[in-house]
Amino acid sequence: MSLISIMFSRENLCNLVVIKGTKQIHTFFLFKIHMNIITKVVSYLIIIFIILSLNFFLPRMMPAGPLSGLTSSDKTVLEQYTNYMTNLMHGDFGWSTSKNAPVWDVLMRSLKWTLLLVGTSTVIYVIVGILSGAVSAWKKGKKTDVGLLVLLISMASFPPFFLGMLFIIFLGWKLDLFPRFGAQTLFIDYSTPFGVVLDILHHLALPAATLTLTSIGVIYLLTRNSMLNVLGEDYILTARAKGLSEWYIVRRHALKNAMLPIITLVALIVGLVITGTIFVETVFAYPGVGMLVADAISAHDYPLLQGAFLFIALAILAVNFIADMIYVHLDPRVKQE
Amino acid sequence: MSILKLTHLNVHFPTQDGVVKAVNTVDLEMANGERLGLIGETGCGKTVLGMSIIRLLQLATKVEGKIVYKGKDLLKLSEEEMRKIRGKEIAMILQNPTTSLNPVLKVGDQIAEAIQLHQGLDKRAAKEKAIEMLESVKISSPEKRANEYPHQFSGGMKERAMIAMGLACNPSLIIADEPTKGLDVTIKMQIVKLMKEVTKRKSMLFITHDLGAAAEICDNIAVMYAGELVEYAKTEDIFKNPLHPYTRGFLNSLPSMGLKPIRGMSPSLIDLPTGCRFHPRCDHASAKCKTEHPEMVEIENGNYVRCFLYT
Amino acid sequence: MIEDVIVFLKKYKSSRLGLVGLGILIFFVVTAIFAPYIAPYDPHQRYETTEHPNSAHLLGTNHVGQDIVSELIYGTRVSLFITLFASIAAAFIGAFIGLIAGYFKRFDFFLMRIVDLFLTIPRLPLIIIIAAFMRPSVWNLVFVFALFEWSITARIIRSEVLTLKNRHYVDATRMFGAGDFHILGKHILPNVVPLVVVQLVLVSRYIILAESGLSFIGLGDPTAKSWGMMLHDAFEYPTIFISDIWMWWMLPAGLCIVFTILSLTFIGYALEELVNPRLRSMTIL
Repeated sequence: MSLISIMFSRENLCNLVVIKGTKQIHTFFLFKIHMNIITKVVSYLIIIFIILSLNFFLPRMMPAGPLSGLTSSDKTVLEQYTNYMTNLMHGDFGWSTSKNAPVWDVLMRSLKWTLLLVGTSTVIYVIVGILSGAVSAWKKGKKTDVGLLVLLISMASFPPFFLGMLFIIFLGWKLDLFPRFGAQTLFIDYSTPFGVVLDILHHLALPAATLTLTSIGVIYLLTRNSMLNVLGEDYILTARAKGLSEWYIVRRHALKNAMLPIITLVALIVGLVITGTIFVETVFAYPGVGMLVADAISAHDYPLLQGAFLFIALAILAVNFIADMIYVHLDPRVKQE
Repeated sequence: MSILKLTHLNVHFPTQDGVVKAVNTVDLEMANGERLGLIGETGCGKTVLGMSIIRLLQLATKVEGKIVYKGKDLLKLSEEEMRKIRGKEIAMILQNPTTSLNPVLKVGDQIAEAIQLHQGLDKRAAKEKAIEMLESVKISSPEKRANEYPHQFSGGMKERAMIAMGLACNPSLIIADEPTKGLDVTIKMQIVKLMKEVTKRKSMLFITHDLGAAAEICDNIAVMYAGELVEYAKTEDIFKNPLHPYTRGFLNSLPSMGLKPIRGMSPSLIDLPTGCRFHPRCDHASAKCKTEHPEMVEIENGNYVRCFLYT
Repeated sequence: MIEDVIVFLKKYKSSRLGLVGLGILIFFVVTAIFAPYIAPYDPHQRYETTEHPNSAHLLGTNHVGQDIVSELIYGTRVSLFITLFASIAAAFIGAFIGLIAGYFKRFDFFLMRIVDLFLTIPRLPLIIIIAAFMRPSVWNLVFVFALFEWSITARIIRSEVLTLKNRHYVDATRMFGAGDFHILGKHILPNVVPLVVVQLVLVSRYIILAESGLSFIGLGDPTAKSWGMMLHDAFEYPTIFISDIWMWWMLPAGLCIVFTILSLTFIGYALEELVNPRLRSMTIL
């Protein structure tokens, strides 16, 4: 139970689920639930503005920062700042020195791979995490439950890049089951489009497995916990008193209530997974936005680094925003206010 | 013909601090159409007794004895068979409507699902029946209310909804657990009046610590103390002539009788007193009461008491 | 106070998982403290490059000829140093802001909006980009982690202070003329210390994970290598996966990280159980 909070890097999550209930956990990590939609949108806009500004000022605040190439000395900081904002609005993220192309184009080329990776792993860990959590709650204290707990807790203690390296060694080289790097086999003509898809999926397997395994523990534990809590509620007793079957009760009465904190959590984990691509894509040389971050760092390509940072930060905010909206839609207590 | 007969019912459950002996050797019989009040202080085991009848307690709970409903021993039924009885034959109205209603489902749907299940109606017909039920418990504009969520209901209305839910499948026996708990005096009176009306010609086990409500509704009253029955009598007898010292104390603690509380505290169900369970708090306790456990004895025409003063 | 600690330790002893975790952590801490005495070589000293394990170098040498055992032992020092300092700083800032926001109503709104901001902003990407703009050094890493990881502690402490503040005994003390700082120090602070300790462990767990990641993508201090930096070096080595080098170069460093994180997981679990006994009945481990 309390393990979730420990496993989850956004620390004290489960505590809140237990003590304060679902509403507060949401309030804790996203915006206040009862805030009206306009205030919420404005809050997100403010945060986006702060991130954009940070992105502009950070390199200029660093004492020995890489100012060259970013600043042209004949303009005041204010002029540069307005310039920067206008450029961003037009999709001009600057020039990537290492790729010798506009940052925007470089990002766009990589985006699809990151979307594929994050999307696939999210679908897998959400489904598998929720199912295994529900099974664990169902079989609480039995072998299945303990086994799942131990396995998934140990998995969450692996840094994603280390697990990825182990996968490359064992599944990539020793057993030679999967390709070891990249997103596609290069310089190959496929006879059928099906062959392309298969090749892409084959390359996707290890990175997606790494991301999934290192992220699944949290959602598993929260589902287990949330399910156990909900199954102990009075209204479950009421449902039993009506003579409804256990499965019907789990499906109709428990799941929706148990899902409320999970939705918030999924958003938060997607945020973590997006960040996690930085490490996983680097290990597997998977050509997504995350690998651009590592590439840019080692090549000292600061415009690209900043562009990739903006992309990642805005993606995470977008996911949080969506979760905020879905939550309001699902919980009738919130909708009314 | 009795509708419900409990014989030597024991309900014990293990906890971290020890075994809670919530119900001890309870014998109780309810006639068809009888409304029986089960009264006692909080924590005397009356809710557990109610829940044990429809087998809603946790798996670890040990239930021994017989619970015979219409000739069938409920303890011998399979879980499958038991589910067909819950809600349809025996309905339980649980306490605390605020937590007992599912916050994310519409009230109407929560009533309709039992109707749909037990009476084989389709979704729409069940919902219509649910609206009728809401009307029968005097909720105004029931069509609108049926589509609202519990948090949009006031405390009294939630209680009404719970009652409607219990009555929805026209059960033969209703177990109502503290339906008047935590309500304002005026609302409480309305609920009591409603309960009396809707349970006419029905059997009901009315679990409460509110003597006034029990007096208003019930034909007979059983008094429970520390997991066992200490007195059973017709309602008018128990008010006119309470026999057991505990019943007397309980009556005296009512506001209308002068608010004199019984001294001492009710015992823990884990560590029960020896002899008569009431002796540490009893003004009439003798040496015998400390060591020997009194039996239930019949005093006159069906009134029973468990006290050495009457043997 | 001392009795409290003793009672606490006695209770802690009953948690098997907690003891295992503590055992592992103590092992690493001792290694870190006595690194110069334990390590067979100076980690900067260069020998033959990429030697396989032999009697002189138990785990061989790396790409520039440094002894891997010594690197590992000094790496413990760097990893734990960053984690410890950053998490203590973060817990301290968080507790301070939480106390002020919870106790003094006039600061509450303003401070909580700042906390909102720090909670909602994507922190790890921000940490990465700030670290990328700074010269890579141990202290800079401590700084960025401390800067961004205090916000949850602040929220938790604030809500605890809000509950404590409304307790009757606090009201009573106030009526007898006790000042704010007396109440804060005497009645509120001792009650939030256990929560801060739990937070400290949880934040440490996160920081050691994040630090290894940052070092891995090349933002670590090359002059004081942490475990993550060792993995970075190993990963950059061209034949790391094809030859057997990974077994003594990459694997031990990675396992050190995994075991430290596991030990902090266990400790955090045991502590939380003590601080929040309500959780106990629901746990199975």
